[in-house]
Amino acid sequence: MTGAQLIELIVGGIAIGAIYGLIGLGFSMIIRATGIFHFAQGEVMMLGAMFGLSTERLLPLPFPALLAVGMIGGGVAAIVIELVVYRTLRLRRVPLMNIVIATIGMSILLQNGSLQVWGSEPMVYPKLFATAVYHVGPATLSPQSVWIVVLGIALVVLLQAFLKFTRTGLALQAAAQDSETAQLMGINLTRCTALTFGLAGAMAGAAGVLLGSLFFASFDMGFLPGIKAFVAATLGGLGSIGGALLGGIVFGLIETFSARWLSSGYRDAVGMGMLIVILLAFPQGLIGLFKRSR
Amino acid sequence: MRLVIGASHAIERRIGLFLTILLLAAAPLVYGQSYFLHIVSLAMISAIAALGMQLVLGFAGQLSLGQAAFFGIGAYTSALLTKTLGVPFPIAFLAAGIIAAISSLALAPITRLTGVYLGVATLGFTIIIHLVLLNEEWLTGGSFGILSIPWPNIGPYVLKGDRAIYYLCLVVMVATYVGISRIVASRFGRALRAIMLDEEAARASGINVTLYKSKCFVIAALVTGFAGSLFAGHARYLNPNDFTFWKSIEILIMVTVGGLGSLPGAVLGAFVVVLLPEYLRALDQWRLVIYGALLIVLMGTGTGGIVGLIALTARWFTEGVALSSRRIASRTRRAQL
Repeated sequence: MTGAQLIELIVGGIAIGAIYGLIGLGFSMIIRATGIFHFAQGEVMMLGAMFGLSTERLLPLPFPALLAVGMIGGGVAAIVIELVVYRTLRLRRVPLMNIVIATIGMSILLQNGSLQVWGSEPMVYPKLFATAVYHVGPATLSPQSVWIVVLGIALVVLLQAFLKFTRTGLALQAAAQDSETAQLMGINLTRCTALTFGLAGAMAGAAGVLLGSLFFASFDMGFLPGIKAFVAATLGGLGSIGGALLGGIVFGLIETFSARWLSSGYRDAVGMGMLIVILLAFPQGLIGLFKRSR
Repeated sequence: MRLVIGASHAIERRIGLFLTILLLAAAPLVYGQSYFLHIVSLAMISAIAALGMQLVLGFAGQLSLGQAAFFGIGAYTSALLTKTLGVPFPIAFLAAGIIAAISSLALAPITRLTGVYLGVATLGFTIIIHLVLLNEEWLTGGSFGILSIPWPNIGPYVLKGDRAIYYLCLVVMVATYVGISRIVASRFGRALRAIMLDEEAARASGINVTLYKSKCFVIAALVTGFAGSLFAGHARYLNPNDFTFWKSIEILIMVTVGGLGSLPGAVLGAFVVVLLPEYLRALDQWRLVIYGALLIVLMGTGTGGIVGLIALTARWFTEGVALSSRRIASRTRRAQL
């Protein structure tokens, strides 16, 4: 392999990893705030991609606007799902496992609902950055990948800043750490949980537009990347936003290189194997990591 | 997840089971259409897998999304043994169950995980097994699958045709049902329920939680492997795409729609999920949308699926309208509190 190819692979891996990170940090935020493993997170990502694409078909907006549409679409969808479905279930005090199975139901519902709305054909995003190619030394990089990395990192930094420096962000963190005490301090828990879902959905929506522009958008694009994003989030340390991005990038690189060097047929198996190993090597690690971050 | 234990209805249950067996055994004599027998056999095979899942989810409270993997391992083991090695079907059938069970032992460390993490890890296992079936062409035929698997035979008798397969599936399903209902009623079954209700409390009462969970997974995998072997003999053609994680989710749907924690529920759920789209073609397109919504509603209301609905109706009839309306009133009052 030449140096040029190596650089191209690295950038490609980081780009796909940044997308995993964006989806994964939503998993992380939701698990920390509610304990729910949100199986439909990947489907929210898919909705973001679909909203972005449909908007583009109606009126050809520039890419940043499409990204915003995807984020708003994903965020609103997640808030609606949380308020209408999961909140209702929590109020009925059903066991957590029931809610998790309900999120599988939500995943099936969103996927097949989208199949009815958008059809089964994969849809191609228009080329966003037409022909210009970046040259870094001997390597030629597609602007798509470079922009995905830049935008992904920028979004995570923005989210982190929001959580650290705004009152609402601090309230979210407080509610995630100790919901009862936070409630006693006057934090509206319903609103906080909805906002957590909203932010997770917005990040997933952005990931959807980015992933859609990299490959294509289809009704079933969400599930597997969703699970892989969870792998990324666990790898980086569940509960931490920066960790999710870092885990995503590391995982993206591992996946890309193992597909290149080992076997492309087993591309998805690498992530799943890692998932099992991570979960086993730290049987209490998930909780352990998340306690340490408190 | 609610417990549905009907110890007081043991006799009614036995009569119900007997009548169901009679009905299923008589059906081919009355209505012997080949396609009908074919899909009812498929429903029975799915019911066997659903019974295994019911033990894991409905009685031990463990979310397993790995059932499709065991189903696939069983099916491919049976198909390869009978086709390439010419092993008699009964041996291949046993081997299918045993190899599926052994592969679930590989998962034994995973059973230390609790709740959702167990579900995600088993999902990962299913995805890996699907990829193995897809990529190891020398063994599994890759995406072409395995064609013309021989009809099952028992000794010199070849079970050729849909009717013979139908009765084979019926016998295995009834045996599985009886076996799992014995397990559920045993000390082991009570321990599983204790784990479901509170894992820590179960551990504190001296139950070796990890061991019991592993045993539960092994039993479910054994049964699902048997189902896979029947599937190989029934379809006589295997393709990796029958064993993706969607199969696991389909089995999950069967169990929840039928009624969690109920063995008749698992069977009913499998019959509904397999047969309904065959007879309501118009529904086909919206089938999964409906199942998704149903999964959410059932998880929210805590009613035990179809079986819960039947039990509710039966109670409504036996106890009279007045009593049940009073109960509904008190229930709504409780809900308002």
